[in-house]
Amino acid sequence: MKILVCISKVPDTTSKIAFTDNNTKFSEDGVTYIMNPTDEWYALVRGVELKEAHGGSVTVVCVGDSSNDQIIRKSLAIGADDAVRIDAQPDDSYFVAAQIANYAKEQGFDVIITGKETINYNGSVVGGMLAELLDLPYVALVTKMDIAGNEATIEREIEGGKEILSVPTPFVISANKGLAEQRIPNMRGIMAARKKPLNVIPADAGISANTSVVSYSAPPARTACKYVDADNVDELIRLLHEEAKAI
Amino acid sequence: MANKFVDLATLKFILNDVLDLNSLLELDRFSDHDSESIDMFLSSVFDFSAKELYPCFREMDENPAHFKDGIIEVHPQVKTIMEQSGELGLISSFISAEHGGLQLPLLVHTAAGFIQECANNHAVGYAGLTQGAAELILEFGAQELKDTYTPKMLEGKWGGTMCLTEPDAGSSLSDLTTSAKPNGDGSYAIKGQKIFISGGDHPYASNFVHLLLARIEGAPSGTKGISLFVVPKFRPDGKGDYESNDVITGGDYQKLGQKGYCTTHLVFGENDNCQGWVVGAENMGLKYMFKMMNGARIAVGRGGASIATAAYLASLEYAQERPQGRRVSDHGKKNANEKPTLIINHPDVRRMLLLQKCVSEGSLYLVALASKYYDLSIAHSDEAEREKYHLLLELLTPIVKTYPAEMGSESVSNGLQVLGGYGFCSEFVLQQYYRDIRIFSIYEGTTGIQSMDLLGRKVTMANGQALQHLSGEVMQTISKALDISELKSYADKLALNLQTTQKVLGHLSGFAQNGEYERYLADANMFMEFFSKIVMAWLWLDMAVVAKHALIKGDKTYSEEFYEAKIHAMKFYFKYELTKTLSLSKILMDEDSLTIVDEKEVFVVK
Repeated sequence: MKILVCISKVPDTTSKIAFTDNNTKFSEDGVTYIMNPTDEWYALVRGVELKEAHGGSVTVVCVGDSSNDQIIRKSLAIGADDAVRIDAQPDDSYFVAAQIANYAKEQGFDVIITGKETINYNGSVVGGMLAELLDLPYVALVTKMDIAGNEATIEREIEGGKEILSVPTPFVISANKGLAEQRIPNMRGIMAARKKPLNVIPADAGISANTSVVSYSAPPARTACKYVDADNVDELIRLLHEEAKAI
Repeated sequence: MANKFVDLATLKFILNDVLDLNSLLELDRFSDHDSESIDMFLSSVFDFSAKELYPCFREMDENPAHFKDGIIEVHPQVKTIMEQSGELGLISSFISAEHGGLQLPLLVHTAAGFIQECANNHAVGYAGLTQGAAELILEFGAQELKDTYTPKMLEGKWGGTMCLTEPDAGSSLSDLTTSAKPNGDGSYAIKGQKIFISGGDHPYASNFVHLLLARIEGAPSGTKGISLFVVPKFRPDGKGDYESNDVITGGDYQKLGQKGYCTTHLVFGENDNCQGWVVGAENMGLKYMFKMMNGARIAVGRGGASIATAAYLASLEYAQERPQGRRVSDHGKKNANEKPTLIINHPDVRRMLLLQKCVSEGSLYLVALASKYYDLSIAHSDEAEREKYHLLLELLTPIVKTYPAEMGSESVSNGLQVLGGYGFCSEFVLQQYYRDIRIFSIYEGTTGIQSMDLLGRKVTMANGQALQHLSGEVMQTISKALDISELKSYADKLALNLQTTQKVLGHLSGFAQNGEYERYLADANMFMEFFSKIVMAWLWLDMAVVAKHALIKGDKTYSEEFYEAKIHAMKFYFKYELTKTLSLSKILMDEDSLTIVDEKEVFVVK
C-alpha cells in the first residue's frame, strides 16, 4: 500500500503573533515552527499505522523552502519512509493543492491523507482541492479508517452523530481528532531519520496562487482576569451578561 | 494550574547561543548527533512532559506515595513514565553507545531533565535514579553485572536506586554498618538497613537494582573500608528465572514535599538470604559512588532550577491576569475611581518577579554550564583542556548543588508572595512548589556539607588552579563586556568583586595557616553565599553580552524584547543581589567568632 501524507509548517501555538509590511506579512521574529498538529498527530500517525498493519510505504510531501526540513525530519522520525519537498513558497491553498496534485498524479498512491486544517490559516480546503485535481473520492474530517483489500471503511462525525462510508482506493481524506494518537518520536527514530531520503523537487512554474493577502489584523488583546467570589453567582451572571456579553 | 511550565526559548538561548552546543557536537564523542536532531529530541521531551508528566503533577502531591500492606503505592502514571522514559531514550541518553546508550552530551541530558522536572518534579527521579545506578554498573562493574542488570534498567523495565544513608550514618558515611560477608562463590551476604531511599520500591518496575554501600568483614574502619554492591530485589536463580533476594521494604517516609516520589526504608538480609555482588574493587565504594555523586549534584541543581522556573512562570501568569489596587500617580495619590491595575504593574510585584526570573534563568545557565564542563572534561581532544574543565567542574559543583536550591527556595517564596493570600491556599500551585523545592538543599549533601567542600577543598584544589581557571573564565566575560558601553559599569563591578574575593580568601586562609581549621570553615556557608552571588553575576553578565551582541547584529532568532529582557534582568541582579556581597564580605572578615563552641553557654533556655 502506497500512502501519501501531506504536512505543513505552522507557528507554535505559543508564538507571539505580529505583522509586518503594512500588515500584509506575518512577522517571523522569534517564532518557533512546528508540524501542523492534525497533520502530525492524526494524518501521519494513521498512515504509519496502516503501513505497519498492511505493509507498503509512507511518503510525506510538503510545499515550502528548506526551513521546512526540520518538520519533515520529524515526520521521518515518527515513521515515514521518505519525503518530498516541493521547493516553493506555499502562497495559498490552491497553489499547495495543485503542486501536490502535480507531484502525486503519476505516483500511484492508494491513500492520500491531509490534516483537517492548518492551525494558522484554518482553510480546511487543501484535501478537497487535491481530490478534485486528481479526480479521486474525498472524505473530510475522518475520525476512523480501516482498510481491507481495496476498500476502506471510514467514519466521520456529522451533526448529531456519525457517518460510516465505504470508499474504494485510491482516495483522499482529511484527518480529524480520533483517527490516531500522537506518537512522540524517540531518539533512535530521530537518529534514523537522518538517513532516510528527503527529495527536493522544483515546483511546477505553471501553477500560481489564486489569491493574495490584502492585510491581516490581530484579535483584540486579552483583558485582565476578573475573580468572582464562589458564593456570588449573581455577580458572575451580571458580569457575563453586561461586560462579557456572553449570555 | 498554570498554562506554561517551562520557558523553552530561554533554554534554547542558553544551549545554543550562550553555550554554543554546536561546538560540543564537533567533538568525536558526540559527532553522531547534530543540532537539528537534538532540537527534535528536546521537542519530544517537551511533548512527553506536557502529555504524561504535567497533568498528574498536582495529583501526585494530593495522593502521596505510601506504604500499605508491605508494598509502596505510587501514582499509577509512574508505569507510563517508566516505560516511556525507556522508550524515548531518556534513561540512556548520555550513556555511552558501547553500553547501548545514545551518547548525547550531558548538556542535552540536563536540558531534557530540566524540561521534565519543570513539568513534574515528583516523577522524574524514578527514571533518573535508574539511569544513575545503571551508569555506576556500566562504569565500574564486571561484564556479567552489566549484562545481567543494565539492559532492562535502560529500557525502564527495572528500577535502580542508590542506598547510602543508614539510621546512624547520614552525612557521615564513615559510620555505616551494613555488612557484606563473602559467600565463597563471588557473591556476598548482605545485612543491614538503609533509609531515605528514593524510588526504592513500587509496583511499576518488575525488579529493583540497589547500588548499596556496605563494609566487607575485616575491612578498614572509616571511609576506606566501604565497598559498593549490586543488590537486586530479585536475583537470578541460575535457571533463567528470578527469585526473592531477601530485600524487604520496611516502610516509607511521609514528607513536606515531593510526595509522589516515594522515599523508602529498606531492610537487607533480615532472613540471612540477601546476596550482593561487588562493583569494581573492594573498599573503593565511596570513590565510585562519589564519581556518580557529582553527576547527582548537578541533577539536584537542575531540580532546583526547574522548580524555581515553573514557580516563576506560574507567578508571572497570575500577575498578568490579576487586577488589584491602583498605581501611585505622579502626585502621590491613588485614584479610587480608576479601574484596578494588574498586579504586575506594581513595583514591588515586579521586584519579586524579577528576582524569580534572575534566580531561575541564572540557575538554569549554571547547571547547563556545569554539564558542558563535564562534557569537555571527558570529550575534549586535548588532555590539558580536559583537566582544566575537570577542575572547573569540581569547583562549580558545590555551587551548582547549592545555589538553585537555596536561592530557588527564596525565589519560590517570593513567587508565593506574588499571589498574596491565594499563594498560601492549596487551590494554587505555588504552595506545592514551595514545599517541593525545600528538599533540594538537603539532597546529596546538605548546604553545610557543600559549603565546607567549596571552601575546604575546592578553592584550594590543585594548588588553587581551579580557582585560577574560573577567574580566567570570568575575566573573559569582563573583557567582552568592557567593549560594550552599556555593560561597562557592570564589568567594573564584577571585577571589583573578584578583588574582594581575593581579600576574603586571604583573610580566611590566615586561620588555616595557623591551624585554626574549624575557624576557617566556621562561616563556610556565608562564603558559599558570597561566592555564589559573584559566580551568578558572571553568568548574568555573560548572558547580557550575548544578548547585546544579538541586538547589535540584528539577530532575529528571538525577539528584541527577549534580548532586552535578558539585559534588564542582569541589571536587576547586579543592583539587588550582587550588592549583598559587600555585607557578606564584612561578615566573613569580621574578627568576632560567634559560632564555635567555647566555654560560654549561649543557648540558655529557662
